Amino acid sequence: MRTYELMFVVDPRVADEEVVTMTNDYKNMITAAGSQITSEENWGRRKLAYPIDKLNEGKYVLLYISSETGKTALPEVEHRMRQNDKILRYLTVRTDEAIKRAARRQPAGGPRTGSAASEDRPDAGPDIDVEEEEA
Amino acid sequence: MARARKVFFRRRKVCKFCADKIDYIDYKDVKLLQQFIPERSKILPRRISGTCATHQRSLQQAIKRARHLALIPFTTD
Repeated sequence: MRTYELMFVVDPRVADEEVVTMTNDYKNMITAAGSQITSEENWGRRKLAYPIDKLNEGKYVLLYISSETGKTALPEVEHRMRQNDKILRYLTVRTDEAIKRAARRQPAGGPRTGSAASEDRPDAGPDIDVEEEEA
Repeated sequence: MARARKVFFRRRKVCKFCADKIDYIDYKDVKLLQQFIPERSKILPRRISGTCATHQRSLQQAIKRARHLALIPFTTD
């Protein structure tokens, strides 16, 4: 299973209702492709750390997405966001691998038990990250 | 620990993330990241903060993500 986080920043001049409809649009695209929205956060208006397009504030929306199939429609969603000039910034992050890696480091009691690190990973994609465990 | 010669302290630096058992550094955790971006908003080097290599790497990633979303600044002037 893959999990993603999708955060985007909307122009503060856009009304809250419109932000909601935009968000729903994106959510529909994602669910239509067979993924789930596990949760959603609306941070509302927030000051930007630096001005973007001469704006000092933005409305932040955050979606947590999980996908069994790997079909997420995220490329399409990103494409739409890129073309929508009300969206100042967006970022999609795949989180399952990082969190799994972090979880693995915990029960091992911190300092590396190298053997466990390489075994409990049945077929999970490219094995690039294993070196970090200092096996 | 104090070396006896002069008044010369060198505290052993410990990686904050190892100590606090934070394994996934979240780019949304602005408060946490802020501790590693001093005045000029540059990423605090490992040699100063004592962060271990693994955590410095994920910290760096998190800071850059947060910068992109304008959660923390690139520079301050």
